[in-house]
Amino acid sequence: MDEQQLRVFIDIVSQYFEKQTGKAPDVGSPYLGDASSLPIYDFTGVIGISGERQGCVYVTAHRDLLRQLLLHVGESDVSDNNLSDLVGEVANTISGNARRYFGPDFMISVPVVVSGNARAIQVPRSVKAYILPLRWHKFEAALVVSLQ
Amino acid sequence: MLKLGLGKYRSIVILITLFIVFDIGVLAMTFVISRQLTADAISINLAGQHRYLVQKLAKTALLIDQDATQGTFDSSGKSSLNEVKDLIATADRFNAIIATFDGGAKLPDMTEELALTPSQDTQAAALFALVKDLWEPINAQVQALNQPKDGHRPDVGPLLQVLIPNNLNLLSTSHILTSRLEALSAAKAAKLRAVQMAGMAAALVNFAFILYSFLGQLRKSDSAVERAQRETEDILRTTQEGLFLLDPEFRMGSQTSQALSKILGVEAKGGENFLDLLKPLVTPKTYDTTKEYIELLLRHDVKEKLVASLNPLDCIEISAVRANGALESRFLQIRFNRVLQAEKVTHLLVTANDITRRVKLERELKDSERRVQDQMGMMVHILQADPRQLQDFLRHASDGLNQINEDLRTASPTTGVSTPRIDAMLRIAHRLKGDAAALNLEAVSQSMHAFESVLQELRAQTRRSSEDLLPVAVRVKGLYAEVNAIQDVIARIGQVRGVVSVEPPKPAHDPEIAAQPFVRQWRGFAQQLAKRLGKQVELTYQGLDVDGLSSQLREAVNTSVNQFIRNAVVHGVEAPADRKKRGKSESGHLSVYVSDQGDGTIELSFRDDGRGINPEKIRLAAVRKGRISPEVAKGLDARALTLMIFEPGLSTRDEVDEDAGRGVGLDAVKEMISRLGGRIRIGTTSGEYCHFRVQLPVKAEPNDTNMPDRIKEVA
Repeated sequence: MDEQQLRVFIDIVSQYFEKQTGKAPDVGSPYLGDASSLPIYDFTGVIGISGERQGCVYVTAHRDLLRQLLLHVGESDVSDNNLSDLVGEVANTISGNARRYFGPDFMISVPVVVSGNARAIQVPRSVKAYILPLRWHKFEAALVVSLQ
Repeated sequence: MLKLGLGKYRSIVILITLFIVFDIGVLAMTFVISRQLTADAISINLAGQHRYLVQKLAKTALLIDQDATQGTFDSSGKSSLNEVKDLIATADRFNAIIATFDGGAKLPDMTEELALTPSQDTQAAALFALVKDLWEPINAQVQALNQPKDGHRPDVGPLLQVLIPNNLNLLSTSHILTSRLEALSAAKAAKLRAVQMAGMAAALVNFAFILYSFLGQLRKSDSAVERAQRETEDILRTTQEGLFLLDPEFRMGSQTSQALSKILGVEAKGGENFLDLLKPLVTPKTYDTTKEYIELLLRHDVKEKLVASLNPLDCIEISAVRANGALESRFLQIRFNRVLQAEKVTHLLVTANDITRRVKLERELKDSERRVQDQMGMMVHILQADPRQLQDFLRHASDGLNQINEDLRTASPTTGVSTPRIDAMLRIAHRLKGDAAALNLEAVSQSMHAFESVLQELRAQTRRSSEDLLPVAVRVKGLYAEVNAIQDVIARIGQVRGVVSVEPPKPAHDPEIAAQPFVRQWRGFAQQLAKRLGKQVELTYQGLDVDGLSSQLREAVNTSVNQFIRNAVVHGVEAPADRKKRGKSESGHLSVYVSDQGDGTIELSFRDDGRGINPEKIRLAAVRKGRISPEVAKGLDARALTLMIFEPGLSTRDEVDEDAGRGVGLDAVKEMISRLGGRIRIGTTSGEYCHFRVQLPVKAEPNDTNMPDRIKEVA
């Protein structure tokens, strides 16, 4: 995966935030992490990838960020269920757009939402993953791309 | 011969035909009997009339006579005339019956011929003859009255003269004749009824046989159908393939194999539209092509073999999401074969297989081939490189890349990476590039160069956003992968070296040294142990004078050799008969060398030509002794298992005796060697040999400064 393809993922997330709230998130410096040291916040939306490359892409966010995002779009119900749905929606947006961009070589799944438990997310263990930190209204989130 | 094509129903049809024939026969018989009885009744009736007519005749004659005697005639004489007429009519009737019985005449009130006549039976014929005899004179007298004259009284005197004496006789004879005819009729009827009963019985037996035969055949064909159905069910339940029939409307047949739903990953029911089932699993293009392909196969004018290669479902990848978000890919092969009836395609037999394992293996094989090719190229340079320098490079590369990654991670979200940090990254990259070039690792050197260029570009930018660091992260990831690849190659080389130990140069043989006390003692110990175990061994020694070593080294060498001898004779060397079978000499050979390596170490080499170390036995022993779990044991390779013989308490021997079994020998040797700063290596080939190599540093004892001179090398 080259920088161009990484940028596609960043753009999808940025555009989602911008469209929903009028403000794109700040993208932090990208770095690499081992499977055992990847950031996992309160809610994580995972999309699996298979085909030529195997692995997953996930977006993970703090509860506060998701709550704020909901309030921004005029949703007053900030229960865990809604926060979970929201992170699922972000992942779904990534999934839908990425499918359009990468074509049939990348098989992209529908998203799955994982709350909290980092161990439930299966990432390839033999390679380092790209970690793309995101910051929106001082709340942290991250986009993680882990492909073999 | 006319063939009706009745097949298995032939016997049933024959039986039913027989049944009908029997029934018709019985019906006809009934009809005949009833007609016969009617006919016989006429005869009996006629015979009965004789009795009545005789009585009537007698009565009329007596009345006429009475009238004459009492003078009760009317003056006209009409009444007596009428009575005479009556008398004559009675006699005529009698005569007519006789004529009828004789077969000549037919009574006016009879519609058909008589079936039963007295002539058919001797007794009846005699009786009938008697009747006629008795009747004849009476009849003559009656006929004499036939011409009465008006006004004259009829004279019945002569008639009465013959009538009175014969009347009773004639009456009784007629009676007997009637009874005889009745008996004849009854006998005939009984006979006919018996025939009728027999016919009915035959029809009933036939019917029972039909029932039996039909039910039998029904049961037989039912059981054949059931068996066939059971076999089909068994096949469909057991087969590992997804099977079903597809009709021209793309509808699946009512029966599908149990494995189908599992293979497709969706619930597949008979009668469903196959294309609807397929739609969510494949891309729209594959869906359209599949539809066209099936339509093509259903056409009669297209050759099946020609279009088989067009099957778009020959290998399709479908994916399912697991609960943790991982996408699980499976590969399916769905094939279609025509089902023909009268050379027309009626259905397609669809076979679905999960070929994930095969496809993944093929891909792994390709990857592995590519990796091996890459590694082979790299291996040439790695084997040429100095191992220590290579290890240093890898350590530096790993540290350097970690440092760069850490700088990326801690970069300021607003200002990004500072110029001094970029300079530091450049320095790391440059140094690694130089080191890689020195080791002839051209690919790494080029990647480092490209990385330097990316960093230079970044440095040149006045404003650096975080996204500008993406190329840096991408290059760092690539470099990590290259360093890992080199480590993999080194590990592989190490694995090969570890198992197939490279033979050290043999020290020259010195007969004097070969006879020294230590060697004698080892030889004696080996012989003694072998004798106890029913084995044969020879020990040869080449190399340094062990006595000339420092006491510490001497003790280490002696202890090690003694343990190696014990290990070799107990576990390695086979019994003479076994060795012979394997094409080895009956006597096991133990070779001991001790040589000066010239780098401040001596090497003890101990080799036996026994059965070598069997990693599987160690695996079993380790699991049996609870040292490792069966799962862990399964994952260990031969090298890791071989090295386990140096672990305490792990003996492959089931029983403990004075020779072995406690598993404390080799771990003690290892412990002693490492205490002395030495190292031990092992090489083995199962069934061929086991080779221990021990490197020990030569350390001068404080009170023995001449130690190096005492190491006598035999040149």
